[in-house]
Amino acid sequence: MEYIIKNGIVYDPTNKIEGEKKDVMFKNGKIVDNVSSDAKVLDATDKLVMAAGVDPHSHIAGPKLVVGRLYRPEDSRRGVKPKTATTRAESGFSIPSCPATGYRYSRMGYGTVVEAAMPPLEAKHTHEEIVAIPNIDIPALALFGNNWFTLEYAKDNNVEDLAAFISKWLKITRGYGVKIVNPGGSEAWGWGMNVHGLDDPVPYWDVTSREVIHTLAEANESLGLPHSIHLHPNDLGHPGNYETTVGSMDLIKDISKNSPVRDQTVHMTHIQYHSYAGTNWRDFESGAEDISKFINKNDYVTCDVGQITLDETTTMTADAPMEFDLHQLNGLKWANKDIELETSSGIVPFIYSGRNSVHSVQWAIGLEMFLMVNNPWQIMLTTDNPNAGPFIRYPKVISWLMSNKRRTEMIEHGEVHKAVGRKSSLATLDREYDFDEIATISRAAPARAYGFTDRGHLGVDARADIAVYDIKPNEIDPSNEYETIECAFGNAALTVKDGQIIVQDGEIVSTKESQTIWANVQGIEERENEVMKKVMPVFDKYYTIKFENYLVHDHYIHNPIEVNIQAGK
Amino acid sequence: MKTITFNQKKTSPIALEFDELIPDTIYNWEKSDFDKYMVPIGNSKFSLSNYFDVEVGGEAESPAEVKMILNGDLGRVKYIGNKMSDGQVIANSSVDLHCGAEMSGGSILVNGDAESYAGREMTGGELEIKGNVKEFCGASYIGDWRGMTAGMITIHGNAGKQLGECLTGGEIHVKGNCDILPGIHMNKGLIQIDGDVTRWPGGQMQNGDIVINGTLSRFLEGFNQEEVVIDPTIAGKSFSGKYIKFTGDIARNGKGTIWLAANKNRHLL
Repeated sequence: MEYIIKNGIVYDPTNKIEGEKKDVMFKNGKIVDNVSSDAKVLDATDKLVMAAGVDPHSHIAGPKLVVGRLYRPEDSRRGVKPKTATTRAESGFSIPSCPATGYRYSRMGYGTVVEAAMPPLEAKHTHEEIVAIPNIDIPALALFGNNWFTLEYAKDNNVEDLAAFISKWLKITRGYGVKIVNPGGSEAWGWGMNVHGLDDPVPYWDVTSREVIHTLAEANESLGLPHSIHLHPNDLGHPGNYETTVGSMDLIKDISKNSPVRDQTVHMTHIQYHSYAGTNWRDFESGAEDISKFINKNDYVTCDVGQITLDETTTMTADAPMEFDLHQLNGLKWANKDIELETSSGIVPFIYSGRNSVHSVQWAIGLEMFLMVNNPWQIMLTTDNPNAGPFIRYPKVISWLMSNKRRTEMIEHGEVHKAVGRKSSLATLDREYDFDEIATISRAAPARAYGFTDRGHLGVDARADIAVYDIKPNEIDPSNEYETIECAFGNAALTVKDGQIIVQDGEIVSTKESQTIWANVQGIEERENEVMKKVMPVFDKYYTIKFENYLVHDHYIHNPIEVNIQAGK
Repeated sequence: MKTITFNQKKTSPIALEFDELIPDTIYNWEKSDFDKYMVPIGNSKFSLSNYFDVEVGGEAESPAEVKMILNGDLGRVKYIGNKMSDGQVIANSSVDLHCGAEMSGGSILVNGDAESYAGREMTGGELEIKGNVKEFCGASYIGDWRGMTAGMITIHGNAGKQLGECLTGGEIHVKGNCDILPGIHMNKGLIQIDGDVTRWPGGQMQNGDIVINGTLSRFLEGFNQEEVVIDPTIAGKSFSGKYIKFTGDIARNGKGTIWLAANKNRHLL
């Protein structure tokens, strides 16, 4: 089937198309440069057209979601929608049901979402959930930062074996890249401890997080993976943590990039949570200026924000000691889990309120980061869903970024605490994003950071992942009409995924199965086998399951998109 | 004033769900609107007219001007007055689950018993039950930590287990006896029980007051006996007689208070 989306105003930063009135054509699931006269015309006259969104960091599949749903039934009471002829019933607000996750991303015009933390031991279940989520393509980042084998290789600075281990483990788990969460800290939590800063030794391992991050980054680049290391640094959410964050970025500076498809050697995730100055919650203030200065000077760093949306939400992370701190702070219920040799995890509900000074300053810090990082290719739109707020709030965040007037209203009308004025510089920032920058932070930049060449843009041969929004970029004034912006980005006029029309006028009109994107590194199989000979005795001794039951078999991956990589090239 | 009377024609083995049939929704409905209304029953919907004959009298310009009367056997009618914000509901029989749940205003009178979760997560209004209530009256729903936050529940009979679980405001007055764990996880508000309590009031309570005028058979360990107070004023309400004051629950560093009528509870001293 051929289609032509006619007369839209196209924003495609990858191909340097900025608000050009043109047609977008697609056939057999791909963007093409011409179609026959039989092509079905989809009128988008003067409407905003972009590639479908790419979410670089979201928690949507895996055991922590299931635990979250089980122990937060009160969240499942929100967002209930009955089934229709096309869709299954929806439920949940911050931790929606699997079908609701797919439908809600589609309604916002998204096509690809990265599951940001997959414990290898729980990879099977992560993939089961991915299968249950419709409409979107999902790569999953495997957790390596507290893995016992990683700690051993990092201690010995054995980059070569660590690279082979990563390569093998991505095959075993069908993972896409290397995720590092509070390196050493989640392992320390097994002893009721944490690590702070970059040089605090991990208990019983004689290795520091500095060494773990550096060794993993070296291994990642030696393999030439399509994504860089994806780093959740130490000290998340602690006043004064910006120094650890700067240090974490700085320690990567000597590592050369080994990938033609991305720009960065480190992706700093939910940077808002890592940009805090002060020494305690009383003198807590923004450290965004130091972080943004560093990013502006160093193009080997990208980041996503993790913008606070001021909602009641659910925090969930492999940074288990941080979750315990959070539980101590808010007194709400807490779930905790140890993932054997790999990581730990925790879940705590959280109510972010504009009446609370700390939450309001956190909200301001996220926006400061968006507005103080000069290059939109280095900063990406996320809420660290669901930690800082549910992903369905992206349209609201976009409206904040496009409207200084709205931000000022929130500050002046008391929608956020007055501490925002004292403890952040947000009120002094009058930058407003344009549509090209929105397209960059929500699709083009994330696609490039992940090395996706087949999505995030509208060039010929790209996947026909397209979003049309019912706003006229040449007529609307986003600064004043922020409510219209929010509404339009939340209800796509048209969402196309792989050439299939999924959404029309904000409603799901068809569904398709999700696809799993994973990275298959080739060329070091012998090295992998050597490494496995050393790994297996440890595995057999310490894991509680057999290796044969650990592997993610083919039948767990219904629709794989295998990204083949020649190691080192 | 508009009076809308629901006269039952037949019962259903599966509960009818009345959450849409509240003054907020129906204040401007005509009889014909009720006749064509499809009421949820299980996973299907059926014509309300199969089950109720609805009489409409008078006019209303807002929910506040609605008096809704339900006659018949309402034992399989759920969500009566659910989420209502104004108006008056009178149920002339025992009612099923979630009566008055999440109501924010108006009043409900039940001339019979109420099943579990009556007045769950109320944020205002008045719920009066002439008979007994089952479990979780005025409580939170499963998983949540915020029960009733405001309003008044009066129970003329007995109350079941976990009355006012996670109570976060408002007042519950039980004129009869109460089963185990009234005020468990309570955060704020007042529970007054005129009859006896089986055991364990205020487990893990953080704050608020529980007054027991009858006999309490067994206390939890996490409460300290403080003093005997004569004619105390508790949560702005005056009580007469001697009360033994306990505070807790220590297990959660709680600052809640339990007041026991001294003349009925000497065995606990």
